[in-house]
Amino acid sequence: MWGKFRGPIQENALSLCPCVCILAPRPRSCQPSPAQSLSNSNPTTQQQRSAPPATLRPLPKMPRNRPAYPLLRLLLLALALGGAAAARRDPAPLPANATAASPVYLWPLPRSVASGSRTLTVDPGLALDPQGPGGGAPALAEAFQRYRGLVFAPWARNARRAGAAAYDVARLTVLVASANDTLALGVDESYAIYVGAPAGADAIVGGAIIEANTIYGAIRGLETFSQLCVFNYDTKNVEVRNAPWHIQDAPRFAFRGLLLDTSRHYLPVDVIKQVIDSMSFAKLNVLHWHIIDEQSFPLEVPSYPNLWKGSYTKWERYTVEDAHDIVNYAKKRGINVMAEVDVPGHAESWGYGYPKLWPSPNCTEPLDVSSNFTFEVISGILSDMRKIFPFGLFHLGGDEVYTGCWNLTPHVRQWLNEHNMTTKDAYKYFVLRAQELAIKLDWIPVNWEETFNSFKENLNPLTVVHNWLGPGVCPKVVAKGFRCIMSNQGVWYLDHLDVPWEDVYSGEPLDGISDKDQQKLVLGGEVCMWGETADTSDVLQTIWPRAAAAAERLWSPLEAISAQDVETTVLSRLHYFRCLLNHRGIAAAPVTNYYARRPPIGPGSCFVQ
Amino acid sequence: MASALSRLLLLLVLLLAAGLCASAAGGRVDLWPMPASVARGAKTLLVSRDLGLSTAGSKYADARGVLRDAFQRMLAVVQLDHVINGTYYQGAPVLAGIRVDVRSPDDELNFGVDESYKLSVPATGSPLYAQIEAQTVYGALHALETFSQLCHFDFNARLIELHSAPWTIQDAPRFPYRGLLIDTSRHYLPVPVIKSVIDSMTFSKLNVLHWHIVDEQSFPLQIPSFPKLWNGAYSYSERYTMDDAIDIVQYAEKRGVNVLAEIDVPGHALSWGVGYPSLWPSAICKEPLDVSSDFTFQVINGILSDFSKIFKFKFVHLGGDEVNTSCWTTTPRIKSWLIQHGMNESDAYRYFVLRAQKIAISHGYDIINWEETFNNFGDKLDHRTVVHNWLGSGVAEKVVAAGLRCIVSNQDQWYLDHLDATWEGFYMNEPLTNIYNPAQQKLVLGGEVCMWGEHIDASDIQQTIWPRAAAAAERLWTPIEKLAKATTSVTARLARFRCLLNQRGVAAAPLAGYGRSAPSEPGSCQRQ
Repeated sequence: MWGKFRGPIQENALSLCPCVCILAPRPRSCQPSPAQSLSNSNPTTQQQRSAPPATLRPLPKMPRNRPAYPLLRLLLLALALGGAAAARRDPAPLPANATAASPVYLWPLPRSVASGSRTLTVDPGLALDPQGPGGGAPALAEAFQRYRGLVFAPWARNARRAGAAAYDVARLTVLVASANDTLALGVDESYAIYVGAPAGADAIVGGAIIEANTIYGAIRGLETFSQLCVFNYDTKNVEVRNAPWHIQDAPRFAFRGLLLDTSRHYLPVDVIKQVIDSMSFAKLNVLHWHIIDEQSFPLEVPSYPNLWKGSYTKWERYTVEDAHDIVNYAKKRGINVMAEVDVPGHAESWGYGYPKLWPSPNCTEPLDVSSNFTFEVISGILSDMRKIFPFGLFHLGGDEVYTGCWNLTPHVRQWLNEHNMTTKDAYKYFVLRAQELAIKLDWIPVNWEETFNSFKENLNPLTVVHNWLGPGVCPKVVAKGFRCIMSNQGVWYLDHLDVPWEDVYSGEPLDGISDKDQQKLVLGGEVCMWGETADTSDVLQTIWPRAAAAAERLWSPLEAISAQDVETTVLSRLHYFRCLLNHRGIAAAPVTNYYARRPPIGPGSCFVQ
Repeated sequence: MASALSRLLLLLVLLLAAGLCASAAGGRVDLWPMPASVARGAKTLLVSRDLGLSTAGSKYADARGVLRDAFQRMLAVVQLDHVINGTYYQGAPVLAGIRVDVRSPDDELNFGVDESYKLSVPATGSPLYAQIEAQTVYGALHALETFSQLCHFDFNARLIELHSAPWTIQDAPRFPYRGLLIDTSRHYLPVPVIKSVIDSMTFSKLNVLHWHIVDEQSFPLQIPSFPKLWNGAYSYSERYTMDDAIDIVQYAEKRGVNVLAEIDVPGHALSWGVGYPSLWPSAICKEPLDVSSDFTFQVINGILSDFSKIFKFKFVHLGGDEVNTSCWTTTPRIKSWLIQHGMNESDAYRYFVLRAQKIAISHGYDIINWEETFNNFGDKLDHRTVVHNWLGSGVAEKVVAAGLRCIVSNQDQWYLDHLDATWEGFYMNEPLTNIYNPAQQKLVLGGEVCMWGEHIDASDIQQTIWPRAAAAAERLWTPIEKLAKATTSVTARLARFRCLLNQRGVAAAPLAGYGRSAPSEPGSCQRQ
């Protein structure tokens, strides 16, 4: 019924596809492409396998992605048994030989997707039907309200309720197996969704169900559900098209991060919350908060109340309560906050409150390694932060340490001599001593890769090494038995405006790592939004949509990612997701500009820009 | 004469008092836009964490919650999610609430509605109440915005503080029309984005959202009378239903912002023909709309009829700019129609604009047209026409000399898409330049900054609008004698206002550099 559309947007580009075969469970007709079967072997990694893994303290035990979906299994069974009947019910049954040609407009791509050809209407009064031991969690009810708002606003006025009977989906059952709402690295984020035909005589296949082991899995499921819901501009209903949907999903990596830098530019709490919201839309789950750097010290530290004198102004600050607020806000969206205190470099701003932390007033970085006071302050900061940041990982920085001041300052120089240390030894000494402080507080220390590059043999075995300088680092890190987070600046530094989305999408944390045990040591990856030229005015625009490209890389199965054509399928899906972000009020920039955060090149649809 | 003299004296006293207080309290008055008159003291009040709203004695019943909701929004932007858990130490004066006295029971947001207010914050008394007096609820809304800018979260005390009390602020806008144009044809702007623009407008007391809905690129709005018109949308989902439009209008109204809808005819209307190709002169020559066809005017009538149900503002904008009439002469059917009616192209242009005007008037609207209509046939325009300047400066004086009303948007200073137009230029652009006759001055309704959308979408709109639009907002609000003569004296205050926008989640760009420049290096928002 639609008239002519200009531009490459076609009607079917906006509807959800019937089936994608690349995903497990895979229809028989779909075989892995040659590219897929090759994707797991990389000859360059073979040599690095030999080093035995060092002993590691295991991460907190969390239920892993066991497919514990009794209800959905039952549903599937019923579907399989009643397949013929189901086919009769559906006017256009699921094609058995569907191909990967029509994309699924879900971002990031779920692990397994099956869909049909029916259109279901969703009740604007959609009710939550919480089930299971974790179903009653307030955070779940809140998340449901949030997503209902996203699905029905700004169309709330349009969808006039015609009585529940008039809608196919009037209730969303959310079954959560565990009552434990602890959020930690590796928490079970898996979920399954079934959105089926209206309940009739065979009520077992009717309705909308999300099933998860934890509320965090359920929250991921709600995000996916919200992306299934589209507004029909003709009927003014919210619909789920191509139902029934059956989705099983779980992340590929446990650590899917985004770095925010509040030292180069202060970001108001409201803006950090906007970033957190937007992260949840792409299923990112770690906000790496690079709180402090040489330029400013915005956070209150009760133990050393002068530290935040290093803030830019008295308004560009966070109270302890603000930090708590951010952590809680993130937790409700299944997002951990990993705080960073970057030592001994990148810490000049500490000295505005306590000048003794500087080697001298005219040589102010790195922190004075010779003084016990330095470590007392670090200890105080960490103790205060431990009360705010429950996440198991804590980032101690350790990058770009220029030790010139240690040599130039007589009292530090003398201390080095007394202790028979070179500046390099002192750097190691500093990092290791800070690590001990963090470990004492039951934190797993994360350090930038220079620490590994400089003294890998001395790093605490618990250390998670955070790559940034370039490619090929995680293979070395895991070969030594350390865990690794990839942020290779060539692809995952968002402040590099000349990295187009395709390059971001190509970043592969397991590149060069073929040993399964070593692969497990790669916790995931992180995109970094360094703040030199990013403030409230442009931070979201610089993050999105490129961060979404990394988010899919970190969430979706490698086979599914590799099987897509980047310039057609992925691009149109990313366009769609970027428009979704815009629809939700997030200032995501055009996808196809070569340089990031550039304005659209001319008038046009967001689906093609 | 006597009254004028006493007013002058009063003014002098006020100025003197303000000056004295300012020197007593130290520092600048960090309000944007600057109110008409400000007097302050040197006391610091603590703002109760349960700040109350009292409307006892007010004639305004607030059935729609306009005031109540505005009060809650004010609290939200003052508290900014901070935990207010400090100790209200002994003997410190605590502001318990705000008493609002609105004299008019009516909350229709008519053009020229009284937006004045008086805000006083006493420093003594128990309990302490700030007092807002306003003729209409919309004046009270402006007062709440001003009040919010007096309050600061103190990071050490963990309390909201209000410095320099007692305050006495009398305020009223200089111009009744203080507009911002958004363009949803070159890029679709999702409803939440439009709402966030409306929210940010209220922070600098702008009061007209000029919604340039349709242009040649896309037709995003549903028109029930001609349901295929929105086939001209970019895509299925880049559209506004009638209900979306109602939602936007009501959202704006509740914030004291009127929505001025525009259909730009006969040029800038190519997208109309996607749904109704007979509106094009021909399939190969699509602009302007076919002047020779009655159907064209039936469609305009249908649109304006639908508009009149949702856009309740006194004015509708009919465009009329940049009309290249060559399709009319190259299309044989139209060419012969012109000959038949003894018209040349410019006659036909005039005929089109005037006929569209009549249709709009029949639906109860006053018309706004871009200045080309005035430049070409000003003497033929309906006398109710408001001429919307854009081409350059010096137009308003000609318009008002001809007895017509005018809105100033000269592109060299007030087009936000001109990234090389600096905030200083926005600030210094004076709508009454060369207009000295008070009767003629009254014909200048105000001005508008224009955010044309060729390079603007949901990703960069706020950043391109702010802070430059705020500079124009002060020009349009503040009495001319209180405006800075040199922009250097307002830089710090505007930078502070930009930080305030940032704190409220609005992506206002740094002052430094061209429009929407990224910050060039690390630094405080107050210095960038």
